[in-house]
Amino acid sequence: MLKRTKKDENNTPFSAGDTVEEKPAPPPPRPTVTQGIATSDKKTTIGEGITIEGSIRGEEDLVIEGAMKGNIEMGKHNFSIGPKGRIDGDIHAQDVSINGQFKGTVEASGKVAVSKEADFNGEIKAKSFSVEDGAYFKGVVELDREPHQKSVTPNTLKVPSPPETTKLQVTPPSIANMEK
Amino acid sequence: MFSSTTRNGNNSDLESFPVGYTSTILKEFVETLEGLKDAQTLDMGPVCQENLSFFAQRMGRHYVCDMFLRLKGGKRNEPHPADGWRHLDYPDRNFDGIQLWDLCDHLEEEDVRRLAKLCLAMLRATGLLMLIAFENKPTSSIINTFVIGQDCRLDIRPQPHLELPWKFRHNRALTSLLSDFTIVRSFRYHSGIREFLFKKPGSFRD
Repeated sequence: MLKRTKKDENNTPFSAGDTVEEKPAPPPPRPTVTQGIATSDKKTTIGEGITIEGSIRGEEDLVIEGAMKGNIEMGKHNFSIGPKGRIDGDIHAQDVSINGQFKGTVEASGKVAVSKEADFNGEIKAKSFSVEDGAYFKGVVELDREPHQKSVTPNTLKVPSPPETTKLQVTPPSIANMEK
Repeated sequence: MFSSTTRNGNNSDLESFPVGYTSTILKEFVETLEGLKDAQTLDMGPVCQENLSFFAQRMGRHYVCDMFLRLKGGKRNEPHPADGWRHLDYPDRNFDGIQLWDLCDHLEEEDVRRLAKLCLAMLRATGLLMLIAFENKPTSSIINTFVIGQDCRLDIRPQPHLELPWKFRHNRALTSLLSDFTIVRSFRYHSGIREFLFKKPGSFRD
């Protein structure tokens, strides 16, 4: 059957005997930067219609638009969950971008970015992270950082005794004036 | 001049609410918890990058569960927003501090009691509970995030996806709903913002 490519939409008349050449599709747009994570030229995308059960280990960047149950080990490579992607499992990667549903632990040697489209339920362990306002987020954040704990001095707060009244204290003028 | 942070600058009608101050109670909350080994905190406020970073850099583990969004029905438009409470399924005595922000201002009395009981269970003995209450009705029912800035300065940022009714409570009404806790300190600012710091009774951190 004859097909018209999108380029034929200039309504050039043709007869049944005409042949319309299938022009090669234009190259896909170059991958863009998502949530601060630059995708590399070598990247695999698992489409919306794909469901995977099991684990994935990769040596190139990966984007999952479908459903996945299992762990993902990307080593020094980046990983993304697309807006319709759903993942139940743990992720280890360089940079991780979450735009879909996720349940599990993300451990990144770089950055974790959670967009406002995301539904995140789990744990982030990373050097840095970002979470957009509006994200459906229930999680724990543990930054990979130098310990800087102060001395352990529990119960440093002194409770007034007796609890007295619930009357509020007036802000000291120095504080209140700052607000004007 | 009071102003909200500029991130959602297109909400000009929401930017005039008078807030923007250095939070004495937040300072005390953080300084106390920083002194603990491997402190764990829970933030029930709207998701906010600045606040997440602030606590994550200071605490051993920082938990976030946006109860504003969950009680509204969440992104999934859950038919019964009250089911949002099921998300507070943390173990007992798990946290050293819980940050409620102004959540109680948006809850019915019965729900504040429920929240107080949950917080009491989730906090360790001597754990801290911080909350803020407005004295004046906000100009809009759209929720604002309190955004933590330098030196515990708080500004607001509107969250257009969050809209909840607002309830006014006198100090006595509010503290009586949280009567299982000991009140440590409270402040009232000229802008009409009230801050409360409560403590779970106990003689040592369990």
